[in-house]
Amino acid sequence: MENMIEVRNLHKKYKDHHAVKNISFDVKKGEIFGFLGPNGAGKSTTIHMICTMLAPTSGSIMINGYDAVKQKNKVRESIGIIFQENTLDEKLTAWENLMLHCKFYKVPKSERKTRIQEVLEIVDLVHEKNKRVETFSGGMKRRLEIARGLLHYPKVLFLDEPTVGLDPQTRAHIWEYILRLKEKQGITMFLTTHYLDEAEISDRIGIMDKGEIITINSPAALKKEIGGDIIELSTAEHQATIATIKKDDNIIDVTDHGDVIHIKVQNSDAFVTQFIKQLDVPIRTLNIRKPTLNDVFLAFTGENIHKTEEKEA
Amino acid sequence: MEGMIAIWQRDVLKFFRDRARLFGSFVMPVLFLLIFGEGLSGTMESLVMSGVEGEENFQYVKFVFPGIVAMTILMTAVFSSLSIIQDKEFGYMKEIMVSPISRVYIALGKMLGASTVAFIQGVMMFLLIPFLGIRYDFINLIKVLPFMFLLACTLASVGLLIASLLKSTQGFQLIVQIIVMPMVFLSGALFPVSNMPGWMDIIVKLNPITYGVDIMKKVMIDVDSLSPLIREIMGLNLTIFQRPLSIMEEVLFMIIFTTVLILLATLSFRRANS
Repeated sequence: MENMIEVRNLHKKYKDHHAVKNISFDVKKGEIFGFLGPNGAGKSTTIHMICTMLAPTSGSIMINGYDAVKQKNKVRESIGIIFQENTLDEKLTAWENLMLHCKFYKVPKSERKTRIQEVLEIVDLVHEKNKRVETFSGGMKRRLEIARGLLHYPKVLFLDEPTVGLDPQTRAHIWEYILRLKEKQGITMFLTTHYLDEAEISDRIGIMDKGEIITINSPAALKKEIGGDIIELSTAEHQATIATIKKDDNIIDVTDHGDVIHIKVQNSDAFVTQFIKQLDVPIRTLNIRKPTLNDVFLAFTGENIHKTEEKEA
Repeated sequence: MEGMIAIWQRDVLKFFRDRARLFGSFVMPVLFLLIFGEGLSGTMESLVMSGVEGEENFQYVKFVFPGIVAMTILMTAVFSSLSIIQDKEFGYMKEIMVSPISRVYIALGKMLGASTVAFIQGVMMFLLIPFLGIRYDFINLIKVLPFMFLLACTLASVGLLIASLLKSTQGFQLIVQIIVMPMVFLSGALFPVSNMPGWMDIIVKLNPITYGVDIMKKVMIDVDSLSPLIREIMGLNLTIFQRPLSIMEEVLFMIIFTTVLILLATLSFRRANS
């Protein structure tokens, strides 16, 4: 079996609102699949349906060979979910939380202690196992949740914004653990995140917008699809500069970002040397870069991912 | 099955860790015991003694105490079901709902957790007996335990169904006031309900607490040795369609009631997933 998840013509309708519109996609065995999209794109609805928490209006979902509608319990046994919000019992100790999970997922009695020890080692929480979760820091709680999600040896791990609200150092650590896991256990991972630099670790990325999957490809291919280089320029006379740029035939696209103008060109070296000669206003800053996933996201959804975040807040 | 036991154990464990809740839930019953037991007993006792020749040992508190214990069980069982809503609010319910535990076992585990806690609180009320100046046969106190647990299960299933339908704790408080208080007053727990107007009598007969309290009184107080008049005044002649009820029939009613509510709660858990 090559595909771990197969989604076919999946549709979800709430009264007269179509949250997910007939989408189809596959997640291959052993890959990290990044799932991106602006808020309200239907990402959460899609994930909830895949995780058996929401019934689809129509369409089918197969996970690990099981039907997510008809064989809910088989699917539930096959997946591990790290939710965006805390779902630990804070009044209980780390060890008690893990033991409960073993019982919920029918982990064989004889294996429980070794498995708990094993996952605690992966996330470096062995010495904290008998402390109550309420005394843990945000990063420790996240790590414990990841550990718990692994206890029943899931075939797919769903990570919904696994590093949201954590400081950069802890974020880096969490990713270290996640990558270690992928190497060691070969678990398929289904990831959503708002930090596009983090999505870089995905083997493939699917972008969803307005209930539809717009594109699926590897991060490198997506960047290549956008093509060219991006020049970020700010000058003393904003409007005059834009007017000058628009006359140039070599540019692919110009976007106005307030103080900064983004100019997309095929070859930045040739362009800049030419362009500077033409420009008669003083340049404040000039920055040349390759497209990032943020540019990819922008190009496909017409929205900056951080702006969509602010809108929701 | 093991998932059910795990859910059950978790709630009981958390109850014992929360000392404040352990003692806090005693306040209300003790208050009621004071008001209905001590406050009303003078009137009730003179009323009974003027009517019955040679009756000198009548103690009203002895009749009210089982009712107060039942009320303690009701309060604790319903409020323990609140843990479901707390689990929803704090996210833990998601961990339970995405696990492969069958939905019936989730409902049963939660119900058993709440009823165990309520049962323990009810038994702890027995500690007050010496201070009330009343006596019950020790054997009778042991015999009543299984019935108390059954009553706890029935009432926990009421709380379970309410909690499974709600999303926030605020709504729960309101519903508790609308449902729980009338259930206490129309059950015979605090005063006899033998001469009620017709429509009220229907509520009394549908109220599972009525049967729980009746069984507890029948077992704890040696009913057969009482004079018919006291039984009449104290409402110990519970009948349905003019026919006296046996303990077995009352138990059966409570079991059916509990089963129906658990099935409804299970359906509600299933729907929550769709």
